[in-house]
Amino acid sequence: MNTPAPVFEARRVSKSFGPVSALKDVSITLFPGEVHSIIGENGAGKSTLMNIICGRFQPTEGQLFVDGKEVHFHLPKDAQAHGIAIAPQEISLVPHLSVAENIMLGAHCGPALSIDWRKTRAEATRHLHEVDNSIDPAARVSSLSKAQQQLVQIARAAATEARVLIFDEPTATLTYREEETLMSYIEALAREGRSAFYISHRLDEVRRLSHRITVLRDGVHVGELAPEEASRERMVTMMAGRPPKAGAQPLRDLPSTDTVLKVEGLTRAHEFRDLSFSLRKGEILGVSGLVGSGRTEMAKCIFGATRADAGRIELNGKPVSFRGPLEAIRAGVIYLPEERKQEGIFPLLSIAENTGLPTLDRFTGLLHLRNRDMMAEVEKLAGQMKAKFNSLRDPITSLSGGNQQKFIIARWLMRDAHVLIMDEPTRGIDVNAKFEIQSVLRKLTEERGLSIIVISSEMEELLDVADRIMVMHEGKVKGAIDRREASQEGLLQMAMS
Amino acid sequence: MASANTSELSTPAPRRQASLLSRFWAWEGSGVLVALVALTAALTLATDNFLSAYNVSVVLRQAAFVGLVALGQTLVLLVGGIDLSVGAAAGLSSIVGAIALTQWGIHPYLIIPFTMFFGFALGALNGVFVAGLRLNPFIVTLATWEIFAGLTLVITKGYPIRPLGDQFGIFGKGEIWGIPVPVIIFFASAIFLIWMLRQTRFGRNIFAVGGNRDAAILAGIRVRLVEFTAFGMAGMFAALAGILFASRMDAGQPSVGEGWLMGAITAAILGGTSLRGGQGSIVGTVLGALLLAVLGNGTVLLNVSGFWQRVIVGGVVLVAVLVDLLRRKD
Repeated sequence: MNTPAPVFEARRVSKSFGPVSALKDVSITLFPGEVHSIIGENGAGKSTLMNIICGRFQPTEGQLFVDGKEVHFHLPKDAQAHGIAIAPQEISLVPHLSVAENIMLGAHCGPALSIDWRKTRAEATRHLHEVDNSIDPAARVSSLSKAQQQLVQIARAAATEARVLIFDEPTATLTYREEETLMSYIEALAREGRSAFYISHRLDEVRRLSHRITVLRDGVHVGELAPEEASRERMVTMMAGRPPKAGAQPLRDLPSTDTVLKVEGLTRAHEFRDLSFSLRKGEILGVSGLVGSGRTEMAKCIFGATRADAGRIELNGKPVSFRGPLEAIRAGVIYLPEERKQEGIFPLLSIAENTGLPTLDRFTGLLHLRNRDMMAEVEKLAGQMKAKFNSLRDPITSLSGGNQQKFIIARWLMRDAHVLIMDEPTRGIDVNAKFEIQSVLRKLTEERGLSIIVISSEMEELLDVADRIMVMHEGKVKGAIDRREASQEGLLQMAMS
Repeated sequence: MASANTSELSTPAPRRQASLLSRFWAWEGSGVLVALVALTAALTLATDNFLSAYNVSVVLRQAAFVGLVALGQTLVLLVGGIDLSVGAAAGLSSIVGAIALTQWGIHPYLIIPFTMFFGFALGALNGVFVAGLRLNPFIVTLATWEIFAGLTLVITKGYPIRPLGDQFGIFGKGEIWGIPVPVIIFFASAIFLIWMLRQTRFGRNIFAVGGNRDAAILAGIRVRLVEFTAFGMAGMFAALAGILFASRMDAGQPSVGEGWLMGAITAAILGGTSLRGGQGSIVGTVLGALLLAVLGNGTVLLNVSGFWQRVIVGGVVLVAVLVDLLRRKD
């Protein structure tokens, strides 16, 4: 049997940033028509490797080959010239331009000088429709949801007619339906003989899609698996270097029957309609739904960031109507947004400052801030949450995503919170950190009597952590079900009913 | 909007057939156009000579000089930069152009391209620092502003260079079919830029770089070259304005361009160009420049003290920003 020549090869590639070595001696190949997944925990070097392949970074050592010939990429356009394109993890689009133009960015059709707009738009639409046909190519990118933007990015990578496509966490923002379309799209690409590197934290996806799975850990290539031998447990063990912590939080009966938050008939035009539900003391309520189901909009409304058109909200038996987040926070209702980077952290400030910032009033002395008291309290909470850090004075950006999230939760525990609403609390966080955060949430409900609403598009996550799962679809509550009786299929059916 | 059925929530972004009015309102330049029309109407009623051929040509000529500078400024703002040195670049270029004409014997017809080339070089110097070395454009151009203004004084010792001769005077003073030449050049430049921003790769790349630099890099756009060229063109248009003004005054004056910086930025902002880059239009800038000229002219016609003019312009800018805020909320 003769094996086809690899379309791409990275040989003994290393990359260091100053003294920090992000990638050590990693070799990887990609054959025509192959989907090759790269998995690993955050900081394992997946993105660094992909950034080298797509020409964003230059390797400190090692060689790259395209079709067996050595290549040197100085800029992404060099990689593109060799048929390599990336759909990056972070949304990287021009917000004020149309979807069509974003797809064709830097590749407008037309004769030498002038752009042929008709042809450019038609091209863009063709590529877009391969990935998704609900997005209007004439719409401005800024008017799209995150998931739609992600799909536009994928269409853009595909539009380059690249032979090697890199998908960096493409499904992190997507929900079932879109994910399904994307999966079949990538499968179709592979059938056409194009190849892909695929990065994802969703291991069932990886198993379904890949022809080969490479595991990275701490910048080192720790193994390669065929999809048949890649059980979930095996993958997690290789990624973490130790067996996975147990998955789901144990089922339980809530100690208290008191209702903390009661929502009745909450309505906001174009967002959600007639929402009614209640949240018990110490309960974790999961909210499952597609993007556009109104789940985030509901959270923002309860938090006072937007105003409801109709309906009432009761907190501990008293009707409330928050005129803004500040009032909600003072009443002990906290919302942790989905975009941790954009809305959650202050990147220039230290861990301690990030955690203590909203509670500075508690540490204000006569003329100064009682920094030491604040540090002590942050440290205590960090211990409770098992957060890993060197010094609380380090910038928060020095932490991994999971640890950042822990400090953001800690931030609100410095106040007396009753209700915590978390939007996609573990998006883009690796398996073990995910489990740790879920354990932290569980512990908080038990030890502090906190009630938590977890909004997630990952059903698995809700089935792991929630006591009860509420399904939202098209702005309406479709039902709520105890975790004991819930299954992925059941939830899906509930959403579609 | 209130009539939309909430059960249609699922369809993402319902494709409403946008009315002409709402589409007009969504355009960045809508506010300034409305203001310009309203002000023109008011001045026509309040004075008897506002729409006279003579006065219109005065207003247009006034708009042309600052407007040319504003066109270049718009390009720089669109790539996400700012150029504070344009006024001083206009001054220095016009002096160098005047010297080239009077002392180096360059043919009067070649003086304009020569000066524009020189202006491009001045702007390119900003471009090297901003695009090449990734320095903050505000600081870089604050420094080059001083340098250009200082060099102008070093070269001229504060005295104008004159006379420039009749043959050269045609560019600033001449008329074609009754329209002042600078006005024709201004509109021709605007049309060229509208075409460039709409129809060329370089033009589209300007929006891409200003809208999201990282995305542009990933898309394989030569981001630095785009930024560099935008700064160069800002210098070039400033120089064009400067040398046309010199031609009109029959003198290279060291003070040329002193007041143009604020006018240029104001015109662009009035026209809806965003200071954060990626958003704006040439048509908006042209309207902004016209609005400023009409305002200035109106205060004169209405016998308002010239001192008040700046107060009024400042107020108009604030109103424009507020209108823009309302527009975005819609």
